[in-house]
Amino acid sequence: MIAIKDLKKSYNSHEALKGISFNIKEGEFYGLLGPNGAGKTTTISIMSSILTPDSGEVLINGNNIYTHPNESKRIIGVVPQEIALYNELTAEENLWFWGGLYDVPKTELKKRIDEVLTLFGLSERRKDKVSTYSGGMKRRINIAAALLHQPRIVFMDEPTVGIDPQSRNLIFEVIEKLHSNGMTIVYTTHYMEEAERFCDRIGIIDNGQIIAEGTLDELRKSSSAKETIVITFNNLNDDKVQKIQSFWKDCNHTDDKIYFYTSDLKTELSKIISQCSDAGADIHNIEIKKVNLETVFLSLTGKQLRD
Amino acid sequence: MIKLTIKDLRLFFKDKRSMLLSFALPIALITLFALAFGGAGQGKKDTKISMQVSDLDQTPSSASAMQVLDSLKNVELLKVPLEKAQENIKKGDQACVLIIHKGFSDSLTAGKELPLELQYDEAQEIQVGLLQQSLIPTIAMLPFNIGNPKAVMRNRFDKMVPGASDTVKQNIQHKSDGLFDAITMGEMQSDGNDNAGAGLFGGDIKMTKLVAAEKDNSLGLVQAVAGTAVMMLLFSVVGIGAGILDEKQEGTLKRLLYTPMNPIKILFGKMISANVISIFQLVVMFLFASLVFGLDIYSHLSGLIITIVATAFACSAFGVFLASFAKSRQQVQGLSTLIILVMSAIGGSMMPIFFMPAFMQKIAVISVNFWSIQSFYDIFWRNLPITSGTFLSRILVLLLIGTILNSLAVVLFRKNILKLS
Repeated sequence: MIAIKDLKKSYNSHEALKGISFNIKEGEFYGLLGPNGAGKTTTISIMSSILTPDSGEVLINGNNIYTHPNESKRIIGVVPQEIALYNELTAEENLWFWGGLYDVPKTELKKRIDEVLTLFGLSERRKDKVSTYSGGMKRRINIAAALLHQPRIVFMDEPTVGIDPQSRNLIFEVIEKLHSNGMTIVYTTHYMEEAERFCDRIGIIDNGQIIAEGTLDELRKSSSAKETIVITFNNLNDDKVQKIQSFWKDCNHTDDKIYFYTSDLKTELSKIISQCSDAGADIHNIEIKKVNLETVFLSLTGKQLRD
Repeated sequence: MIKLTIKDLRLFFKDKRSMLLSFALPIALITLFALAFGGAGQGKKDTKISMQVSDLDQTPSSASAMQVLDSLKNVELLKVPLEKAQENIKKGDQACVLIIHKGFSDSLTAGKELPLELQYDEAQEIQVGLLQQSLIPTIAMLPFNIGNPKAVMRNRFDKMVPGASDTVKQNIQHKSDGLFDAITMGEMQSDGNDNAGAGLFGGDIKMTKLVAAEKDNSLGLVQAVAGTAVMMLLFSVVGIGAGILDEKQEGTLKRLLYTPMNPIKILFGKMISANVISIFQLVVMFLFASLVFGLDIYSHLSGLIITIVATAFACSAFGVFLASFAKSRQQVQGLSTLIILVMSAIGGSMMPIFFMPAFMQKIAVISVNFWSIQSFYDIFWRNLPITSGTFLSRILVLLLIGTILNSLAVVLFRKNILKLS
């Protein structure tokens, strides 16, 4: 459905994209995960044909988006990162305007506006100016405006930044519904929970490069990220810490906690507990942190995802 | 408190826009108004009021008269053939022409009334009035300076006492000649501009309105409505044009670009809305002037509509051009305040251009205000038909300004606004 081939883009001397390539299948939920400034928005802007790459190619449904921009634009809906709405117009007026730009017939558009307003729980506020909306409500209309022409592909560029939990949950439900209806979704975020929840496949982008790509399980396996056993002790002292560190090198000590890193949790957990007891340390609590996108990202880039 | 003061002062002096508005703009305006009101370079040629002269007599006497007129400190004499001079008045380029008719020399010698005629544009009666103040005493003294004053005196006495006997006339004539010789001896030292003899010799000039003003509309009212309307329109269209920059800043421009619409249509959309709002604004202003101040717009409806449309086109193009040229709304506001005030000052929005020195009147043509206000003068004051070449040429200039600015806006929009990176 979407083929990205060796995209490169520089702003003056800064290389924003250093040759990005990936493919997205029809109906797939693809996540572009990376910290701020990694190149996510630049990639989405190029895929939406509003930014020209220095080199590379974007094929949407087999059409090059630069030679056939209108064919591509008609099947794409873009949810921009910023709330791109006219604040002095009502929600309904905004939807009429944005839907009208895709030449949706008037009667059909009216029906779709009613549908999206219901879907996003804003039917009762449809006649209110967007300026009177909360941040979460604005986010919902921002997404709704991208769906009126019933696109086959939706690019969502960090659509849940800075919103309340109620709106976030509602948006999540809508996104899942759209995906279950067969919509191809490209989702950029720096929230790992969102990527873990929605994405069939994830591309991790950093410094303008895709540094890893695959399903969540594939990423976990391919990375050197280890699971963490966090043990809290009673009366931990330097002598006990030294004894524990002598049998388990790959660990860190802070206050009354020791972090043990392992790639084989099932086998190593009982061994660690036993040796801690042998060292005379009194275990108060054990916590297990499994490998997630955050740790995968950390192991791949050496950076926190929200850096 | 001192720290806060120092911080505020630092912020102020680092803010280029504040500096521009606080210092550069007032200085620019003071300079401009000083120039406009003739405050600079007093005594220079540029502070003179221009007057055309057509010499139909072509005699040494008429040439001498021209020399006397040319010596006037506050009048710039332009020697122009009559037809050309009349054309200039009809176009509104000049206020009047002083015609020295055939027979001037003979009349001067015979002491008869001089065949002088001042043809003028009633729309510029203030300028003509100022000219008259200089002209009448000078013309009254022409026989005294270059003619036969004794013959003038004789003719005057004949007119004043037509039934007097020859003896009485001879007696008066003798005394008058003696008196005149005494005056001549004293006045020979005069610079010729003294109006001491004006009452005695008269200073009659035949006054002819070459371009008659519409009686229903006063000059002041037309000036007030047209001048203010154009200046305020420029301010409001700049606001509309700057909407493009707001759209860029708020992300709606980017969102528009995601749609299948051709990007240039975004600009065209802005141009059209600016035009529609401009037309609406001008219509409201002239309707208000009609209802409240009695400006007769209904007798000149076709001309008014044409002028409003052309003015709206040029002004909205100016607004869109400025927005495409600037990088931010703040920049547009700073630039527009300066440019609009300058254009309004030199273009006649703040005061009629004939109050200004000649060189200021020449540079007025670079402003949209000038062409628009003159077009409104044409229809409401000069009462020109819409088929008049003068009126149409001004409308053409407005349309040309609009077309050029719109074309530049398209180029700048592609270069500055659509560049999202």
